[in-house]
Amino acid sequence: MAAERRASVTWRGDLMSGSGTIDEVGSGSFGPLDVSWPARTEESSGGKTSPEELIAAAHASCFAMALSHGLAQAGSAPERLQTAATVTFVPGTGITKVALSVRGIVPGLDAAGFQAAAENARENCPVSQALAAVPEITLDASLDS
Amino acid sequence: MPRVVRQAAVAWQGSLSRGSGTATATSSGTFELPIDLPSRISDKPGKTSPEELLAAAHAGCYSTSLAGEIARAGGTVERLDVTCTITLDEVEGKGHLIVSSELDARARADGIDKAGLERAARTADDGCTFSALIRASASVSVRAVLESS
Repeated sequence: MAAERRASVTWRGDLMSGSGTIDEVGSGSFGPLDVSWPARTEESSGGKTSPEELIAAAHASCFAMALSHGLAQAGSAPERLQTAATVTFVPGTGITKVALSVRGIVPGLDAAGFQAAAENARENCPVSQALAAVPEITLDASLDS
Repeated sequence: MPRVVRQAAVAWQGSLSRGSGTATATSSGTFELPIDLPSRISDKPGKTSPEELLAAAHAGCYSTSLAGEIARAGGTVERLDVTCTITLDEVEGKGHLIVSSELDARARADGIDKAGLERAARTADDGCTFSALIRASASVSVRAVLESS
């Protein structure tokens, strides 16, 4: 079964001095959120989100879901997973790196087992597959006691 | 070239089917959103999902790219409305995959005609970071319509 997900953006003006708004999303769960080119490309986000931050949120979410599923299927359901994705964007070049990290509380699993499950989730979650053309997707996985 | 870093984090509790999480925009602090599996795959999502976040990313990326290309073609943008629809599907032997991203743009702009807009829309697709990435594994389509201002 296919699931469609939708988002709409309004942009006003030119690239450098104009700005946009993510007006609405199909779920109605967020928006409006402001976006602009300076907020996207300067070191500080200036309190606005950006395509790269949204990609980071998508990847961290997808990775967490895939990992929880993989762990449960292997008989070690997680109590808690804390994932993060850090996207590096070089204007003019594109997204050069995604750094995934996870800290987990998983009763009955050792570090090697957790590492293997995390590697598998990184390889196979749908967002990782969609972003397979990114030159570097790194992983840092550790268990919390 | 400057390197720009943007981060988001998720706290997830429990299994995939019954658990849930929260996705937080760490860099900008602009959102903190609940996520769960039913919202990702059901017909009536009440919460956001990785695919909806990607749709927002792609619509945002493409709208900035199109604004730039219309200006480069000599036009002046008054307003662009861009909708992106991302489809997650189960592909035999491969599990769940993001199979397509469809962009729909309506432009209100001076100094550019229909053919010029269509050219700008294609160039914007080539120049949008996310279009280039996702095209490696899924189909990307663009429709652009000029509205009279």
